[in-house]
Amino acid sequence: MKLEIKNVSKSFGGMQALNGVSITIDKPEIVGLIGPNGAGKTTLTNVIDGVHNPTRGEVWLNDERIDTFPPYQIARRGLGRTFQVTRAFRRMTVLENMMVPAMAINPTVSKKEVLEKSWDILRFLTVEHLANEYGRGLSGGQQKLLELARLLMLDPDFVILDEPFAGVHPKLQETIYGYIDKVRQEGKAIILISHDMDSIFTLSERLIVLNFGEIIADGHPDQVKEDPAVIEAYLGADEEE
Amino acid sequence: MKRIPLQGKYIQGILLFLLLVFAFAFPRIMADKPYWLYVALQSFFWAMMAASWALLAGYAGQFSFAHVAFMGIAAYTSGIAGERLGWSPVSGIILGTVMAGFVGFLVGYLCLRLRSTYLALFTIAFSEIVRLIINAEHQLTGGPMGLYMEPLLETTSYVPTYYIMLAALIVTLLSMYAIANSRFGLFFRAIREDEEAAAAMGVHVVRYKIAAFVITAMIAGTAGALDHHIIGFIAPNELMIPRMSLIIAMAVIGGTESLISASIGAILIHFLMEWLQAIPVSEAMMAKLQANAATVQQFGLTLGDGVIQTNAWRMAFFGLMLMLTLRFWRNGLIQPLLEKIGRQGIAEETVAKRKLPQEENENTEVQP
Repeated sequence: MKLEIKNVSKSFGGMQALNGVSITIDKPEIVGLIGPNGAGKTTLTNVIDGVHNPTRGEVWLNDERIDTFPPYQIARRGLGRTFQVTRAFRRMTVLENMMVPAMAINPTVSKKEVLEKSWDILRFLTVEHLANEYGRGLSGGQQKLLELARLLMLDPDFVILDEPFAGVHPKLQETIYGYIDKVRQEGKAIILISHDMDSIFTLSERLIVLNFGEIIADGHPDQVKEDPAVIEAYLGADEEE
Repeated sequence: MKRIPLQGKYIQGILLFLLLVFAFAFPRIMADKPYWLYVALQSFFWAMMAASWALLAGYAGQFSFAHVAFMGIAAYTSGIAGERLGWSPVSGIILGTVMAGFVGFLVGYLCLRLRSTYLALFTIAFSEIVRLIINAEHQLTGGPMGLYMEPLLETTSYVPTYYIMLAALIVTLLSMYAIANSRFGLFFRAIREDEEAAAAMGVHVVRYKIAAFVITAMIAGTAGALDHHIIGFIAPNELMIPRMSLIIAMAVIGGTESLISASIGAILIHFLMEWLQAIPVSEAMMAKLQANAATVQQFGLTLGDGVIQTNAWRMAFFGLMLMLTLRFWRNGLIQPLLEKIGRQGIAEETVAKRKLPQEENENTEVQP
C-alpha cells in the first residue's frame, strides 16, 4: 500500500490553496491532518480523490498515477472518503445507501451478498434499527455513521475521514472511535481531518499540519505539538485563548 | 433473526393484479363504447411517456424536456422509413426506437455537465429545434401538414390495438421496473441524490447518466412510433412544449419516483381530461342551465346534448390540480398511497429489531 502526493499545488484563479505539498503514506497508520480554517485540508482531500486536478504535481496510488483519474476510478482503486458536510443519499434508505459502493466496485456481486454484509456492518455500528430509514430521516450524527457504513462497504485501503466528529453526540463518537480502530486493525491507512484536538492527539500515529496551503510540520504528534511553527500558526492561537 | 413478513408488499401485489384483470377485461366492459376504448389505448401511450420520463427525472434526476422530441424522432423515422423505403410498421418502429436511443445518447452526452435549470433549458431548446426542423423539411416530413403513417393493423376495431398498446405498456413497465430495481436504478438514484458522493463511492456517473437518457429515449420512441402507427398520422405540433408539460404534469401528479404511480397518474388524468370535455348532467340541471344560457356562455361553457362542454376550463382544472399537487403533495397523489401500503410491516420490523437485543438480554437473565 502506498499513497504518494508529490509536490502538489492547486490554485483557484489567483488563490493558491495548496503549494508544493508532498506526503507519502506507505504503511497502515492513522495520519492526522490539521490546520486552521482555509489551510487547504479539504482541497488536498479533493485533489487526492479526483474531484480537483492539481495545478502542479502528481498523486500516485499503489504505484499508479491517479491525479488525472475521475473520482469513481480512484474509489475503485482503493481510496474512500467521507465529506465535511455529510452527503447521505437522502431519498434512499440506509441499506440502499450502503448497496451503492458495494455494487459499484464489484459488478458481479449478488444483492444477497451485499445485504448480508450491510447487516453485519449495521450490527457493528449498532444502528441495525435504522436499516430501512431514509437518509433524510437520520440525525446529523447518524448520517456520519451512514457515511462510515458506506466506506466499510467500499472497503478501501486508504480512508479519508473529513471531520468525522463534528456535531456528533459523545455516544456516537465512541462508535466512530470503534470504526477507526477496526479499520486500523484491518491494516488500512486513515487520514483523519478534524478540529477536535483531543481526538486527533488520541488517535493519530502521525500528524501533518497544513497552513496557507503548505506543510509546516509532519511527524509524531508529540513532536509536532512542540514544533514552534505549529504553535505559532495553529496551536499557539488555542493556547492563547 | 426472525423477520416479520412485509404484508404491505402482498397487498400492493394484489391491487396491481386486480388492476391488470380490469385492464384485460376493459374491452368487454366497454364493448358498446368504442370511444372510451380508444381513450384507454391512448392513455397507455401517455402512461409509457410519463413512466419513462419518471425514470429519467424521478429516478435519475435528469429534468429533461426532450421526451417529446425523442418520441417524435422515432415516429417520424418510422413514418419516413415506411413512406420512402417501404418498411413495414414493425420494422419502422424498431428503427425509430434505435434512432431515438442514438439521439438520446447524443443529448445525454451533451448534457453531462448540465444540471437542473440549465438541463431543462437545453432540452427545451433541443425539442424546439427538432420540431422546427421537422416543420421546415416538408419534402421529407410533410412539414406542418404532417406525415401519413401506415396503420399497424388493417382493422376498424379498437380491440386488437387496445391489447397491443396494453402489452406495450406492460412490457415497457416491466423492463423499466427491472432496470429501476437493478444496480442501474440504484446508481440512477444515487446520482440524482448527489453526483459527487456517488462518484466517490465508485459509481461511473457519466456512463449511468447517458444510460438513463438512452433507455428512456428508446421507451419514449417505442411509445411514439407505435401510437402514431395506430393513429395513422403525425404532425410537428405533437412535439410542442405544452405536450411535454402535460407528460411532466402527469408524472408529477402520479408520483415521479414510482413508475407505476406515474403511469396510473397518466391514465387517470387522460381519462379525466376526456371526461371533463363534456360532463353529463341531469335533465333538471340542464333545464336550469338552459334558463341561464347567457351566463353559462359568459363563463366559457357550452351546453350540449345532456352535457356541459367545459372547453378551456378542463385545462384550468388540470393546472389547478397540478399546482395543488406541487404545493401539498410533492411526491404526487398515487405514489404516497402505494408507498404507504408497501411499507406496512416495515415499521413493525424496525421496532422488532430495536427491541430484539433487549429481549435477548432479558432472556439471558432469566435463564439459569
